[in-house]
Amino acid sequence: MSFRCGGDRTAARRCRSLNGVGFLTLVKDRMVLPEAAYGVQPDSPKLTVDLATMSTIEPAAAAMYEAADATDDDNAPAQAAVDVSAESPEQRRERFERDAMQYVDQLYSAAMRMARNPSDAEDLVQEAYTKAFSAFHQFKPGTNLKAWLYRILTNTYINLYRKRQREPLQSNSDTIEDWQLAKAESHTSAGLRSAEAEALDHLPDSDVKNALQSIPEEFRLAVYFADVEGYAYKQISEIMNTPIGTVMSRLHRGRKMLRDMLADYAAERGFKAHTEDQAAAGSKNQEKEK
Amino acid sequence: MSDCQGLGDCDDTRMQRIYEYLDGALTCDDLAEIKQHLDTCEECAEQYDLECLIRTMVKRSCTESAPENLKNSILDRIHSIKPVDA
Repeated sequence: MSFRCGGDRTAARRCRSLNGVGFLTLVKDRMVLPEAAYGVQPDSPKLTVDLATMSTIEPAAAAMYEAADATDDDNAPAQAAVDVSAESPEQRRERFERDAMQYVDQLYSAAMRMARNPSDAEDLVQEAYTKAFSAFHQFKPGTNLKAWLYRILTNTYINLYRKRQREPLQSNSDTIEDWQLAKAESHTSAGLRSAEAEALDHLPDSDVKNALQSIPEEFRLAVYFADVEGYAYKQISEIMNTPIGTVMSRLHRGRKMLRDMLADYAAERGFKAHTEDQAAAGSKNQEKEK
Repeated sequence: MSDCQGLGDCDDTRMQRIYEYLDGALTCDDLAEIKQHLDTCEECAEQYDLECLIRTMVKRSCTESAPENLKNSILDRIHSIKPVDA
């Protein structure tokens, strides 16, 4: 884990909780109100996921792990009513079209963070959907279908797309990561102050995309799944097939890098406007003085 | 970056706690404690607000629509595959 825990009582408790399975149950429900954090789902399954066994990346395995997940999918009630074993191939195809095809936009957005251009992103999504359809009999209805699809997409990217590109896994990750991290950490503040927030807010989408694209992909994807999809650490760990501690450290470092990049973009665009404002204010003051 | 020790004794710890707060990954006690701290500490609240803003920006910028033909290509392709029996 890349972060250090502070000396205070609660931080120490939190660090201890990271070591046990107990932590997994804590991350399950997102943004819970304090009074709702415990006991809100008395029937929710106890987590039995063994992270050490999660090296397999087949959809079947994904389905199995998703089975341990809660029914937090929008269509869970409808899916749960399906008896997969009694279903004809045609019925299954219809169910796939009904339940899975609604996520094409989301998968495409994620694929755009993986591939370098729209055409590759399309190929990736198409390949992932083809795989998902072929393995759909292994998907457990009532579990999180979108997360299952994301996992297949991520695996497809790692197995097929990157192989085809003949790119070794994160060939220059360490180098990029180190200098970017050093850069991010050299900022005395966390990179941005609220005075810059307004300039930041006005950055065009293209700047934000470029900033995200410029951070190493394992950090980028973790940030994407957390910030865009709002997935909990456990879900991200299942989608990316990494331990929860790794997800947390990737998020921490990825967000720092992203923030630093955005600060640079804001400095290029925002500060200029800010300076003009100041100049305008200055000339007004001069007029007043006259 | 700051003298505030309310969320931990270093910037890294402080940011990690803000991330966990945002990610909904805290216990009841920690949630209440951080919320209380953010209500009273301007400096940490500023960091929290910036993180919220960045999330909103990322979400806004990275929500794209797939090209029209992609859905059709996928449908064409899965219609050419014989489904596997369960």
